[in-house]
Amino acid sequence: MSAGTAHRQNSRLREWIFFYILSIIAALVLSAILVEATGGDWRPVMNALLDGSLRRPGRWGETLGTAAPMLLVALGTIISSKAGLINIGQEGQLFVGAAFATYFGFLLGGPGPLNVVLILIFGAVGGAAWAGVAALLKFWRNVPEVLSTLLLVTVGGQLVAYGLSQPWLLLAPLADRGNRNQVSTQLADDNRLPRPEIFGNEVPSAVFIAIALAAVVSVLLARTTWGFRLRMLGRNPRAAQRSGVGQTRYGAAALLLSGAFAGVAGAAMLAGGGFAFGNYQLVPGFSANIGWTGLLVALVAREKALVAIPVAFVFASLRTGSSFVGATGVEGRITDVIQGFLVLALLVPPAVMFLRERQRARAAATERV
Amino acid sequence: MVSGSTDLPGAGSSMESAPAVDLRNITKRFGAVTACDQIDLALTRGRIHGILGENGAGKSTLMKILIGLVLPDEGSITIDGEATQIHSPLAAAELGIGMVHQHFSLVDPLTVWENVALGDAGRLDPNAIRNRIGNIADQYGLRIEPDARVGDLTAGLRQRVEIIKCLRRDPSIVIFDEPTSVLTPEESVQLFASLRQVVADEGRAVVLVSHKLDEVLHATDDITIMRQGKVVDRLLAADADAPTLARGMVGRDVSLRSERAALGVLAVDDPPVDHVLAQPDGTPVLEILGATAHAPDGRAVLNNFSLKLHAGEIVGIAGVEGNGQRELGDLLSSLISLDAGSVVVDGHKITPGRSGAMARAGVGVIPEDRHDSGIVLDMSLAENLILVDQSAVAPKGFIDHGALEAHANAMIEQFDIQCSGPHAPMWSLSGGNQQRVVLARELSQQPKVLVAAQPTRGLDVGAIEYMSDRLRAAADDGVAVLLISSELEEILDMSHRIVVMHAGRLVGEMPRADVDLERLGLMMGGATV
Repeated sequence: MSAGTAHRQNSRLREWIFFYILSIIAALVLSAILVEATGGDWRPVMNALLDGSLRRPGRWGETLGTAAPMLLVALGTIISSKAGLINIGQEGQLFVGAAFATYFGFLLGGPGPLNVVLILIFGAVGGAAWAGVAALLKFWRNVPEVLSTLLLVTVGGQLVAYGLSQPWLLLAPLADRGNRNQVSTQLADDNRLPRPEIFGNEVPSAVFIAIALAAVVSVLLARTTWGFRLRMLGRNPRAAQRSGVGQTRYGAAALLLSGAFAGVAGAAMLAGGGFAFGNYQLVPGFSANIGWTGLLVALVAREKALVAIPVAFVFASLRTGSSFVGATGVEGRITDVIQGFLVLALLVPPAVMFLRERQRARAAATERV
Repeated sequence: MVSGSTDLPGAGSSMESAPAVDLRNITKRFGAVTACDQIDLALTRGRIHGILGENGAGKSTLMKILIGLVLPDEGSITIDGEATQIHSPLAAAELGIGMVHQHFSLVDPLTVWENVALGDAGRLDPNAIRNRIGNIADQYGLRIEPDARVGDLTAGLRQRVEIIKCLRRDPSIVIFDEPTSVLTPEESVQLFASLRQVVADEGRAVVLVSHKLDEVLHATDDITIMRQGKVVDRLLAADADAPTLARGMVGRDVSLRSERAALGVLAVDDPPVDHVLAQPDGTPVLEILGATAHAPDGRAVLNNFSLKLHAGEIVGIAGVEGNGQRELGDLLSSLISLDAGSVVVDGHKITPGRSGAMARAGVGVIPEDRHDSGIVLDMSLAENLILVDQSAVAPKGFIDHGALEAHANAMIEQFDIQCSGPHAPMWSLSGGNQQRVVLARELSQQPKVLVAAQPTRGLDVGAIEYMSDRLRAAADDGVAVLLISSELEEILDMSHRIVVMHAGRLVGEMPRADVDLERLGLMMGGATV
C-alpha cells in the first residue's frame, strides 16, 4: 500500500470520528434542552441514565442481558439485508419464536440442560416459520417482504395471545397461574439459561451465545462462499441469477435464517430471564420492543456483525438506564425521545460520509474520462 | 432568424458567406480533463457539417455546449453575427438550435402527434398538429401516420418522429447525434436523403456527429475531425478520403481490419482470408430450437428462433437494435425462461431460466450492459472475477483470501487490467477495464460457447482491437463465439457466418463469403429474401 493510500485512509478515519463526536454532542445538547424545556434538570437525568445502565450494582449485568436479544435480532437483520431483503418483522418473529419455545419446551420436557438447548432450537424454528410465511408469499406470489413481514407482526401477536388464552396451547394450568390470565407456566429451574456471577453482576449466558454467533455470522458473510453468494444476490440480483445464485433459494434461506435469529432471541429472553424480560414465562407483550430495537441496532451497525456488539450494548444501556429516569421526576417517555436523538446521531455520519464518498468518486470518475 | 440570410449557397461558395454559428476558443474542463480544448467551429447555412471523432473525443460535450446543456469555461458563441450565451436548452431553442438525440425521448403508449405535441404549453389543437406533421412529412419525405402508436413503430420511424419534433419548431440549426446507430443501412440512406433536403431547401445549417468514417465522407460537405478534445483537422468532404480521415481520428495510420471496422469502413468485397472456415463437423456445441418468449405486454420478443453454433466458428447476429438480441443474450445468461423451445449445450438439454444453468453448462457471456448482469459494482475486482465459480479459491466453502488475491493478480496481468489492485472496488474501474474483467472471468472459465453482446460498445479504438483479437483467439481455441452487434461493420469483420434477426425471428442466414450488403440490409428491415 502506498503512502498516499495510507494517508487517505487516515484522514478518512479522522473524518468519521469527527462526524460521530459532533453528532453525538448535538444529540446530547438537544436532549438536555428537551429535559430543561419540560421542566426537568438535565444533570440528574444523565446521572440516572448512567446509574441505571452501568454504575449501580448489578446493572451492567442487566444491561448485558438486555443487549443479548437485541444483538441476536440484529444479526438476523444483517443476514437478510446482505441478501437485499428487508425483513422488518423481527418483533413478531421473536414473539412467535418465544411461543414455540414455550410450547415445545413443556411438551417435550426432557432432562434440564438438554431441554434448554431444545428451547433455543424451537425458538429458532418458530421465528423461521414466521419469517417463512413472508418468504413463501414473496417467492411464490411476489408479495414484497417489507410489507408482509411488518404486517405479520400484528398477526403473530394476536395468534400468540390466542394461544395464551387456551389451556391446550400455552395457558398455564390454574394451579400455576393463580388468578392471572394469559400467562404460560414458568420454566423449571433446570430449564433456564444459567446466570453466572461475574464481578458482582449476574450475567445471563445468552450474552455469550449472542457474541459467539456474531463472530460466526461475521465469518459466514465475509469468508464463506455462501456468504459471498448472498452478498452477490443483495448487490446485483441479475448477476447473481446468471451466476447460479437463485433468488428463491438463497433469498428464502436468508429470510428464514433472519427469522430464526429473532426466534432464538425470543427463546433466550424466555429462558434467560432477568429484570427486563419477566419471569421465565410467556405473557402478552413479552417481545417488549426488542425486535424493533434490534432492527435499529443493525441499521446503526451498518450491516457489520461485529460492530453490532457495541451498538447493541449502547441501546441496551439506554433501555436499562431509562428505567431509573422516572425517579428524577422527569416524564419517562423523554428517554424514548433521547433514544431517538441518539439513533439519529449514529445514523447521520454514515449518510454524510456516503454523500462525500460519492462526490469524491464522481470527481475521480470525471478526471478519468 | 430562420431565413434571415437567404443566400442559398452552391457548393463551394459557402465558405465566404457569414456563418450561422461561430464557436471560438471554446474550452470546457471536467476536473483535470479538458473535454474541449480551444475549439473553433463555424457552421454555414446550406451545408452539412460532419464532426468526426472517437468516443471521448469531445464531440458530445461540444454539442451539449451548443444546445445549452453544458456551459463552456471559456470562449465565445456567435449566432448569425450576434455574440450570445446559451444557458439552457430553452435558450437554445429560442435561438433556433434543435437537436435529434441519439437516444429517443418518446413515450411509447402515446401516438405520433401526441409525442410531437409533448411539452407544448397552452391549449392543445390536435388537428393543427396533425396538419403540421403532414406538411413536414410532405416537405422532407418523412412520411408518417400521425395517429400511429409510437410503441408500434420501428426504430427508423421513431427517429422520424424525433426529427419531426425537432423540425416543427423550425430550427435554423439542426444537430444529429449519431443518427444511424438505430437504423438499417437502407434507412440510413433515406435519412441522409432527407437531411440533404433539409439543407438545400431551407438553407439550414446541419451538424452530423458521428464516429463512422463512411457516413461522414458520403453525407457531409465540411468535415471537422476531433481527437482528445482538440480539433485536429478541417477539410472539405470532396477533398477527403477514408485513410486521411482515419489517420486524423486515431492519430496514426490505420491498417488493422478490426480498427477499420470500428471506424465504420465497410469492406464487403474483401472477405478476410482467415474467415474461410473449414466446414464444421456435424455436432453443434450450442443448439437453440424454436425459442419463443413473450414480454409482459404479450409481444413476442423471441419468435420461434432457432440457431446452431459449432466449435471454432464466430456467428454474427446482425439486426437493428431491439429485435430480440437482448432477449437472446438474456436467454443464454439464464435470465429469462422460454414459453416454448429448448436450448442444448454440448449435447445436454439446459433448462432456460434456471439460475446458473447456462454458465455451468459452459456458456460464457459478455453482456450487452455489463452493469446489468456482468459485474457487481459494489464488490471488489477480485470478487468480480469469481462470481460464477468460486471453487478455485474456496475449495471447502471457505474463501482463501491469499488464493483469491493471487488469482486476481494473475488476471490483472494477463488481461492488462488498469486498477489500483485486486481489492479495488469495481466501480472505481473505467468502463474499458470493467469490460476486461468480464472478459477475463468468462474466458478463464474455459467456456464452450462465448456470447459477446455489443462487446466493443463505448470502447476506444485500441480497446476494440484488443477485444476483437481476444474473441478471434477464443474461436481459434475451439470456442463457439456468438457475436451480437448492432454495428454491421463489426459483424462483417469478425463473423464466419451471419444470421439476421428481426422482431425476434431469424429472417436469414449467409456465410460471410457470400454476403450481399443489399440483401442483408433488406433482411434487417424484416424482409425475407
